[in-house]
Amino acid sequence: MTPELDLPIAAPQSLDDIERLGVYQVYTGTGTGSGFLIDANHLLTNCHVVQPYREVAIEMRDRSRIIGRVCRIHPHRDLAIVELARAVDGEVLALSDGEQLKPKQGVHILGFPVGLPLSLTEGVISHARQLLDEQYFLQTDAAINPGNSGGPMLDDQRRIIAVTTCKLNAADSVGFGIPIGDVRRFIDEFRAQKVPFGVQCPACEELIDRAVRYCPSCGSDLEANHEFGEYFETPEAHPLVSFVENALASADIDPVLARHGSHNWSFHVGSAPIKIWCCCSEHLNFSSPMAQAGNRGLNELFKFLLSAEHAPFAFDLVGSTVRLNLVVHISDVFAPSEYEYLAERVRAFIKKADATDNLLITQYGCQPAPETQTEYLKGGDHG
Amino acid sequence: MSIASLQCPQPIRHRLAVAPRDYARRDRAIESYEAGEYLTAVHETLGYLLPDIEIPDLAQAPLCFVQGSARVRVHIDDDSLVLSTALMALTPAAQSTAALRYVLTRLSATGQLFQPRLHDDTVSLEFRDRLSLLHPSKLAEVLQRMAMESDSNDGWLAHRFGVEASDREPVAPLDEAEFARALEIWNTHWTTVNELMQESRRRRSVRFLDALGSYAANQVRYTLPLFGSVRAALNESADAYTDKDENPNKRDSALAKCIKEMRQVPVEELRACLGNARFAINPLHEGTPSLLTSMLGAGHRMQTTGELRAVGRSLEAALELIADYLYLLADHSWPSEVEAALRGGLDLVSGKPWREAADALWNHANQTARVYGSHGERARDDEDDGDEDEIRYDA
Repeated sequence: MTPELDLPIAAPQSLDDIERLGVYQVYTGTGTGSGFLIDANHLLTNCHVVQPYREVAIEMRDRSRIIGRVCRIHPHRDLAIVELARAVDGEVLALSDGEQLKPKQGVHILGFPVGLPLSLTEGVISHARQLLDEQYFLQTDAAINPGNSGGPMLDDQRRIIAVTTCKLNAADSVGFGIPIGDVRRFIDEFRAQKVPFGVQCPACEELIDRAVRYCPSCGSDLEANHEFGEYFETPEAHPLVSFVENALASADIDPVLARHGSHNWSFHVGSAPIKIWCCCSEHLNFSSPMAQAGNRGLNELFKFLLSAEHAPFAFDLVGSTVRLNLVVHISDVFAPSEYEYLAERVRAFIKKADATDNLLITQYGCQPAPETQTEYLKGGDHG
Repeated sequence: MSIASLQCPQPIRHRLAVAPRDYARRDRAIESYEAGEYLTAVHETLGYLLPDIEIPDLAQAPLCFVQGSARVRVHIDDDSLVLSTALMALTPAAQSTAALRYVLTRLSATGQLFQPRLHDDTVSLEFRDRLSLLHPSKLAEVLQRMAMESDSNDGWLAHRFGVEASDREPVAPLDEAEFARALEIWNTHWTTVNELMQESRRRRSVRFLDALGSYAANQVRYTLPLFGSVRAALNESADAYTDKDENPNKRDSALAKCIKEMRQVPVEELRACLGNARFAINPLHEGTPSLLTSMLGAGHRMQTTGELRAVGRSLEAALELIADYLYLLADHSWPSEVEAALRGGLDLVSGKPWREAADALWNHANQTARVYGSHGERARDDEDDGDEDEIRYDA
């Protein structure tokens, strides 16, 4: 019998099925991050993941998204709590008491690195209380990448011991998490919160619910390092963002749900995936990778795809994936008198994308594209 | 290494007699557009891009201009401007499916405003938009890129897929004497590049490969008026072997393959792909004093070439300098005196041993940058003459 088997440790919880855990991807107009449920209606993440937005999108496992309203932020400690538009059924992970953390203990990090689906990385605690910029962090050698921010760091018993926040770019394997003690206190104070939105003072941590220059509690100059009033304002959108989001709203697409980082949007309309992005300083691209060409009847398919009847839209082929595209020049975005005309073009594009994937599959022998939501396809079983 | 020098033959390609851009006209186009005078803005934009063409009143008459082998047609339809240029016609004998796949994969794309369209059996590149949505920068982009794509692809499509070239502008063939000289340049060039390729492999130097790749592509572009399938094949290969972000082994393989393919081009195919075409839009970049300074003036680039000379690596130094001169001449249009100066540098070293060539061209480059570069004597004269924000040649 080995000595380790005599240790009185709790039985490890399995991390074999991470899909059922309440860890979700957070989307905003500046990027994506991770977050985890603290109950069925609330998600905890980093402040830098949600800022400067008061509404963000949370993606479920089935790729549907729900709105999250930011209720509380602690910019200095980099924490935020988001209230979800509806209750979700992911498993709420337990919080550790955080007292027994030691170097070499295992760390398991859940999150969405570089926008990939939910992933698990592992390492050990390098330092349980590392002092950095006058704050304590849990330091780990586990891989942390952009997109992991706001996700949970777990111990071997699958309890949350920290919240992933940052890493040192100039070094390898030096990542940091916000210690569970700070996280627990942040959550406890949120439970007692009476106002719909508040920002914690960086000095005394008192909750402030309006734009003020000095903290009403401790008198600290709140604008010493940041324009504090900005936490209470809707950020001014770039004309390109206004153009896209107004056009989407006119097509009954919630722009908050569609945001996918800076000058990027993605969503589904019916079965069709739609992506919007700027490829350079000149072009705004709308594209729907809607189907994959089969092996037969290609001459007829290609003639259909190139037919002049599709103008002003156009199809292209990337590998075997058929995409419907619309390209808007950036100068159009600065022609407000033409907004309605262009919005109509965007609406027509969305409508055509939703209709055409069915046509390609039923009449031209195509297969659904990897991102097609097949349950919304009409006309037969498409696997 | 048997090769002891490089020949820098006089170009058969005619010097492009394209008038320099009138930037004031572009600015007037933008002012007109912003004032809501959309048709005037279109007219001014066309005048800016097509300085040698008489622009008709588009409300009354269409415009057709020639870009290499492409004919680009412009007309007003209702409140929109329509641009089109035919690419190919499908025929029963053609490999239609492959041609259409190529068009969908390579010519249709995000990030471009014009797109290929099929009418009956004819594929054209087309663009249509409201006059009120034609900012001059947008129209200029479409005109330049669409014309260039059409000129680049028509011969390639016909050669590769057996489709019929449609609505093409004939390119004047070379006469027999010119063709004989072109053939000699072609054969000598690829033999030389092949020998240098062996040297590149022996040295296993990425820097040598950079210079050799640039020389291989730009010597042909500068000296020979290539178009059609041979130009398309050369450009496609050059994209691979001159890509500095690509793995050097892949670049090496791409260059070796290109040499082999170019040496196997049948004489009659080469003849069919040689001729001096007309270009309404300058197909070259406009050379600037700052480019001369960055390429030939004192700086990191010339410093490292100078270090090669200093340690006796004359072959590399000479090859780098010659490749830079060829790049400047092949890809850019210059005022005649600058072009003559650059050509003079090549004349100075053509057929000279490596060490002599490296020394002579090094001195010539410094002198050229000093006189015509952005901090040069010529530029200072320009600054004295006017208060322009940007230094431009006044050729």
